[in-house]
Amino acid sequence: MSFEEISHTADVKIRARALTLDALFTEAFLALMQVVYGTDRQPGTIKEIQIESDNIESLLCDFLSEVLFIAEVEGLVFSQADIKIDGLHLTAILDGESFDPLRHSSGTEVKGISYSGLVIQKDANGYMLDILFDV
Amino acid sequence: MLDGVRQTGVNEWEVPVGYVPGMRVTGKFFLSESLGCSLESGAIEQLANVATLPGIIRHSLAMPDIHWGYGFPIGGVAAFTLDEGVISPGGVGFDINCGVRLLTTPLIQKDISGRRDLIEELFRAVPTGVGGKSSLRISPPDLERMMIKGASWAVDAGYGTKRDLVRCEDGGYMKLADSHAVSAKAKQRGVPQGGTLGSGNHFLEMQVVSEIFDPDAAEAFGLRLGEICCMIHCGSRGLGHQVCTDHLKLLETATKKYHITIPDRQLACAPITSPEGKDYFGAMAASANYAWANRQLITHTVRQVLSKMFKIDYDDMPLVYDVAHNVAKFEEHEVDGKRMNVCVHRKGATRAFGPESDVLPFDLKSIGQPVIIPGSMGTSSFVLRGTKTAMEKTFGSTCHGAGRIMSRTQAKKQLSGKDITANLLKAGIIVRAHSDNAIADEAPEVYKSSDEVVNVVHDVGISRLVARLSPLGVIKG
Repeated sequence: MSFEEISHTADVKIRARALTLDALFTEAFLALMQVVYGTDRQPGTIKEIQIESDNIESLLCDFLSEVLFIAEVEGLVFSQADIKIDGLHLTAILDGESFDPLRHSSGTEVKGISYSGLVIQKDANGYMLDILFDV
Repeated sequence: MLDGVRQTGVNEWEVPVGYVPGMRVTGKFFLSESLGCSLESGAIEQLANVATLPGIIRHSLAMPDIHWGYGFPIGGVAAFTLDEGVISPGGVGFDINCGVRLLTTPLIQKDISGRRDLIEELFRAVPTGVGGKSSLRISPPDLERMMIKGASWAVDAGYGTKRDLVRCEDGGYMKLADSHAVSAKAKQRGVPQGGTLGSGNHFLEMQVVSEIFDPDAAEAFGLRLGEICCMIHCGSRGLGHQVCTDHLKLLETATKKYHITIPDRQLACAPITSPEGKDYFGAMAASANYAWANRQLITHTVRQVLSKMFKIDYDDMPLVYDVAHNVAKFEEHEVDGKRMNVCVHRKGATRAFGPESDVLPFDLKSIGQPVIIPGSMGTSSFVLRGTKTAMEKTFGSTCHGAGRIMSRTQAKKQLSGKDITANLLKAGIIVRAHSDNAIADEAPEVYKSSDEVVNVVHDVGISRLVARLSPLGVIKG
């Protein structure tokens, strides 16, 4: 399981790999939090969210968009997630802490999760994801 | 230049129909040979993708700051007929009405050179970066008014002057804004962020007018050699981002409902006249108005800081102009010899209306619209003026900035925020940000040369150079 930032001129492109879809979504979530808030993020405050969408790509975009919304309006910075995907229904238990300007200001705001170039693929080694965050 | 692209004139290039399947018109972009070296095939594919959308008029266009984005390329412009055309959030972007404005001051370079205290005071007064919250108490009714009246709300509430509104594109607000089409989530994000700069490429910069190319236009715009200006670059914050996210989803359903074939999901769209299209337009206009109000609030804060530190009268810091970079608008243009209303999308492009345009204030009518082109942190910004050629070639549009050539990943690997800050300081430029990463992300090296970009639009004639502005102090978002 891992994610990496792939070179993209304007925005942030993330490539992630994982054995399961649950783990793939977790990698995308961790990448998003790292881009916005940096690496110093601690657990402590729990938040549960549920998402349902029409297809798997939308489920991922809707989930990450909801994370962005909650993080911003509730001032929470998440470090972990327990994600369960059942068909096109997702439940996530997010674990994080309150935003601390001293520790969480090294990243950049993500304005949106883009569908351009979004790829979720399954192969012999598990799942692969390419996704673009508009910054 | 890339394979499959044809040169049609000096700095003018065409992407033929067939470059991607389903193109209804050709693609056209403006670029010098040397800037062509950094052109990505992904950007041209996106330009060609836009040409497949229903109702597109004449060409899918891109300005010389073209680069790879999502949906439309950055630097993309396209106009659509009102009866058959579509509207797409992919032609506007997540940061609706990200834009830039310029204020002049009576200060001269020696007044602010090396004044770190000024940059620190501005950094303290204008909330920036991730998690930046406004100290203003914007109530939900205020937010409604921001979305409907834009900069005009801010001026009525005491954050500016009536003259500011005359110097904003569209008078600082779009009249067809519909706050009912803005979700509760978007409104929730909008309340605490009024008057904040944001992060990424947003900035506030103190600059000096270092060169005048067009004395008559410079005088009309209030720009004098050696005087200090302040440039503010930001947009509609979380409210606009949420509106784009919400409506992309709604328009994806609409794309299927109206049987529109799109080559990229980010180009989800609906007929302009459909309920879904009208809802997106109303919400987008409300977000654009929020952005104009936001820039007006920041302007007020800057004026207060400068008034206090330098004993300048508030009215002695007039607005040169305020332009939107990411927006879709109904405008009248000449198409096949007839005047007609069209819907122009500008995604990382600036309106550049020429002389005699009805929408220009009386005192700028003979000159053309001021066009403000921000450079990168260490390089020049420019003021240009709109032209008749822009009206003929680009639906009254020009470039919006330098355009990135290096990814953020590369920038962070190759450049150190500390070194960049030190080098800029040696060149007389003070930089302030919340983190070194933010500085490396937006270093001068990651952008095309702003000089080269504006020279292309000047030479092609879609706007003409008026003045060069050199940075002295930069606050990075």
